[in-house]
Amino acid sequence: MASQTSAQPLQVCRDCGGGAPVDAHFCPQCTKILTISRHGDYFRFLGLPRKLHISASDLDQRFRGLSRQFHPDYFVNATPAERRASLERSSYLNDAYRTLKQPITRVEYLLRLEGLAAGSPEEASKQVPADLLEEVFALNEELDEIRDLRASGTPADQLKTRLETARVPIEEKRASHEAQLDELFAKWDALLDSDAPDAERRRVLESLRDRVLERNYINNLLAGIEREMSL
Amino acid sequence: MSKVVGIDLGTTNSLVAYVKDGAPVVIRDRSGDALVPSVVSAAEDGTIYVGREAQRRLLTDAARTVYSVKRFMGKGLDDVSGEASLLPFRVGGDAGGVVRIGLGAREFTPPEVSAFILRDLKHRAEAFFAEQGEIDNEVDRAVITVPAYFNDAQRTATRDAGRIAGLDVMRIINEPTAASLAYGLDKRHTGLIAVYDLGGGTFDISILRVEDGVFQVLSTGGDTHLGGDDIDLLLMHKVLAEVGWAQSAERVQEIRKAAIQAKWDLSDREETRLNGMRFTRADFETLIRPIVDRTLEPCRQALKDAGLDASQIDEVVLVGGSTRIPLVRRLVGELFGRTPHSELNPDEVVALGAAVQADILSTGNRDMLLLDVTPLSLGIETMGGVMSKIIMRNSTIPATGSEVFTTAADNQTAVDIHVLQGERELVTDNRSLARFRLRGIPPMPAGLARVQVQFQIDANGILSVTARELRTDIEQTIEVKPSYGLTDDEVERMLLDSFEHAEADFAARLLIEERNEAESVIQATEKTMRSPEFAVIAMKDLAPGEQQHIEAALEELKAVIGKDDRDVIHEKTHALNEATKHLAEVAMNRSVQAALSGRNVNDV
Repeated sequence: MASQTSAQPLQVCRDCGGGAPVDAHFCPQCTKILTISRHGDYFRFLGLPRKLHISASDLDQRFRGLSRQFHPDYFVNATPAERRASLERSSYLNDAYRTLKQPITRVEYLLRLEGLAAGSPEEASKQVPADLLEEVFALNEELDEIRDLRASGTPADQLKTRLETARVPIEEKRASHEAQLDELFAKWDALLDSDAPDAERRRVLESLRDRVLERNYINNLLAGIEREMSL
Repeated sequence: MSKVVGIDLGTTNSLVAYVKDGAPVVIRDRSGDALVPSVVSAAEDGTIYVGREAQRRLLTDAARTVYSVKRFMGKGLDDVSGEASLLPFRVGGDAGGVVRIGLGAREFTPPEVSAFILRDLKHRAEAFFAEQGEIDNEVDRAVITVPAYFNDAQRTATRDAGRIAGLDVMRIINEPTAASLAYGLDKRHTGLIAVYDLGGGTFDISILRVEDGVFQVLSTGGDTHLGGDDIDLLLMHKVLAEVGWAQSAERVQEIRKAAIQAKWDLSDREETRLNGMRFTRADFETLIRPIVDRTLEPCRQALKDAGLDASQIDEVVLVGGSTRIPLVRRLVGELFGRTPHSELNPDEVVALGAAVQADILSTGNRDMLLLDVTPLSLGIETMGGVMSKIIMRNSTIPATGSEVFTTAADNQTAVDIHVLQGERELVTDNRSLARFRLRGIPPMPAGLARVQVQFQIDANGILSVTARELRTDIEQTIEVKPSYGLTDDEVERMLLDSFEHAEADFAARLLIEERNEAESVIQATEKTMRSPEFAVIAMKDLAPGEQQHIEAALEELKAVIGKDDRDVIHEKTHALNEATKHLAEVAMNRSVQAALSGRNVNDV
């Protein structure tokens, strides 16, 4: 598998000084809980390949299993160093679980890991993705008109109907985006399985990044309609 | 070995429990009472009374007596100024600082008041273990419960209270989660559980998934200022509107007592009397409906946050004394479309769960594991008075989050950081937890320093902060000044103070126990004499003069219960017990016969 072609980095047990694989949670020599290493990632931590399709029940089970290994409840009477390691390891596990559980936070995390961070939501909203120009233009025009109507005292329920209508094409865009993302997820997973060359993987990652940016943009648009409707 | 207990530090009542042979048990006093009213009274001579005795003093020395102190934990004066009007005790403090409660000439912070209650529970447990013949009966470690919706300041205040009481607080856990542990909905069960907890002063809803013995909280919601107290207040307002608002503090407490009694009555009767007038369950429900309705929205939100539909919930568990109210049961049942669980005593279930958790922590027993969440988002103030969220609400704890700060001016060596908790956009709408100053940043041009501040929420739901300048890798020291809390030095000083006053005189304790005993006999007698069937019993079964004899004994005991002579109280209690023996037998026989024949008691 691609992620395992590079040599496994080591971590050092602070208790006995022995070496341990980076994804180990306990020292193979002295069995003490290991201080968390700075080199790992959420996938490795949970013993998962960097795939985008993850079985929810498998993830849940790993999460519960690891929680049972190093939750602070089980280190109340341990040394301060072990207590700290348990706290840090549990916090990291919880963050990892939360991030990988949702497909969107999962892909954003993968992009960050692979050096293609999608940027902050604020940045994402600045530039209109080319694929959305038409819809955004139409929507902005409609929203301007609705604001004018509101100012001139048009009843709220009439405006609401128009807003509902304006939302439909954007919702459709989102649905088609979800489908595209899903396809790309499958493509990425297949490339990992076939140990495909870096350039090919990079292309898929870039497509993923663009779709994520567009998706964030679409969500901002929908939130804007939502705000307008709550007025 | 010293003992470990679980404590439910409630708004109205507090309890202590422990695990015996693998099962949690509530610790009771000699008269079988598990509840210690969360009331503290400071007598003129400096003696501190806790529990039933303090509750009695509400009717005689209200200005020196505090109840529902939980509502003030982790609060500032500005938070509570609106509700002080009907309270008998003084609520003060400095603007922007922690609340202070004035009892006579002395002032206490809410954690100190709570510490009196905790110390009483500690003594109760120690006395119990001594009676059990334990060689080491010292209770020095405890798990204490808090409402799931408590913020960092409220949790910290609770932990401080434990420390002031001389307890090592092993863990602060959430009340609804504790309750689910007590219900033993453990590894035999796989399912989704909703815990609805309406107590004296707080409301919580938690949605959990239980699988493989792991109790994983998916979402939580609530209101730390909503509970039975609010219902009592409505009833008090109703009565005061009838009798006039200008009443002495003691009279207001009498009205409060009557209001609570009427509320209790209507849980198993269709009507009662309040202020001498007929008061039906329908009247009551109309009056309190808005309060119960306020609990439903957090339930819907919690379901939404968990990504669930009400119909997917497998079990609904009721916790807290206020869930005895039929309207509450009905509306919760309707919302979730199923009959809620209420097999366990809703007053005791939280303490039982705390005991289970205390046992897990002290023995390393791994059969069950609690994974709770933080109820509120954590963030910091950014430009323009906006809150930027760093750890989102409903994140499983422990949890971490970090943020990188830089400097705005050349050679700036410090940055001020304001930590907040809440869901709102603007800083002013959220809870201020702490302000601190990051110092020791190496002098460099503006914008070059990179200080990473790491926020850690531990398994207690309590925050700690560390910071590191990334270019130099220097760890910064952070002095966190809690906005509404005590500093470590203050807690330390209070702990020392408490040792000086701690020897709350053994004779005083014995007197209190005697009074408690007397009180329970009085209550039982009055309850029987108030019941609808008493008129029939008095006519058919009692000997001539027997009722007068009972009434006389009752009055005599009432006359001495407030006195300091333990022997006299004992003697009069015994006399009343003897006088009511026959009545108790008759009443018991009647209810047994009625139950056997299925008829109304009055027809027997």
